[in-house]
Amino acid sequence: MRWFRFAALVILATILQTSLIDIIAFSAAEVKPNLLLILLVFFAVHCGSTDAIITSFTIGFAADIISSTMGPQIISFGLFGTLLADMYHIITIRKWPYQSLAIFITGFLTAALAYFLNFFKAEPVASNIYTELFWTPLYSAIVGPFLFFPAELWMRTQRQRIRRF
Amino acid sequence: MLFAWFMLGGLIFLFAPQGLTNKFQFAFARTFSWPLGIGRSVTLAARKPAATELVSRREYDLLQNHLANVTQQRDQAYQQIKKLSDLSSRFPFEGAKWVLAGIITDSVDESRNEFIIDRGAEDGLAKEQFVLGDNSIIGTISDVSARRAKVRLFTHPASNIAVKIAELDVSRLMQGTGDNSAKIRLLPAKHKVKTGDTVYAYKKPGFLDAPMIVGKVAQCKRDDENPSVWDITVKPVCDIERLNDVAIIVMD
Repeated sequence: MRWFRFAALVILATILQTSLIDIIAFSAAEVKPNLLLILLVFFAVHCGSTDAIITSFTIGFAADIISSTMGPQIISFGLFGTLLADMYHIITIRKWPYQSLAIFITGFLTAALAYFLNFFKAEPVASNIYTELFWTPLYSAIVGPFLFFPAELWMRTQRQRIRRF
Repeated sequence: MLFAWFMLGGLIFLFAPQGLTNKFQFAFARTFSWPLGIGRSVTLAARKPAATELVSRREYDLLQNHLANVTQQRDQAYQQIKKLSDLSSRFPFEGAKWVLAGIITDSVDESRNEFIIDRGAEDGLAKEQFVLGDNSIIGTISDVSARRAKVRLFTHPASNIAVKIAELDVSRLMQGTGDNSAKIRLLPAKHKVKTGDTVYAYKKPGFLDAPMIVGKVAQCKRDDENPSVWDITVKPVCDIERLNDVAIIVMD
């Protein structure tokens, strides 16, 4: 694992998520893809178990840094990123429709758990829950596979991935 | 084992006081303020205003908000003159300091109900102070570090601001919905309220000397559960997404 490249990629995604990603937001509900969710799935399907745990929790930390409260996303991203990495030993996710499906399901589950944890912590929760549970994961699932290729190039995982399958 | 340690760390973050965990968010905003600022400028530039407007919508809103605020201050001054009992009282906002601050970043959550600004306790900012955008109140300071502060918009679900509607001299709490609007409930239906009425933040000693415009009534209907009271939806009167900077009222 190239940790320096990983750190640079996560920082870049975090900055983009808070600013430039708004350009491609659509509808009055400001639906936009979640770059950190896409990265979570990318590293979960490209790393070994130990690396996947570290990357999942780190990306969750980055997601919390730019959200209202700290904690919910670390736990939800860490939990489902690790589960996805473990499942990857059983179910392979090679084609882009499966990658999209993985992003959508992971996005739905992480948003649901984060919502529950916010509720549990007695933090106010947004009323537009459908956007977070459905539309954001769906948009991320559409955009995600297209971002996998540059991420593979940057992390230099392309060759390793081809050899694996 | 590694997973358990990380999970424990996540739980610590979850249950740690928010004042403590906010330091991480302020540190991120401070470290990457330059790229975040550029990104926001590019985003704002990409959202062009409608070309058919003779005067830009933002300028129009700005002047309308200013007019509403001045009208309220004038009315309050008239009332004070009428009383003739306290001739030494000062005019609204006399001695107040207006701190201008640039917006560094929005929260990433879809509702965008919070953002971080580049002024903090060193500039006199403190919790609960009112924040203005385009001459209208858009929220309050929810957390402060030495050189950064977090602004919670009045549309945030945790926001509760005392308000009054138009000329009604009745104060009610307005709570955010998280969906770029806020609700005023428990106002008896005997009061006349209509769509388009101006909503003012009620004066708050030490924070706000005179009522200031906060929004307009976007919808007014009978409450579903209790038809004897109104269910009022309030929308902001400025385009918060297009704001580059805000002003904070710092009273003496």
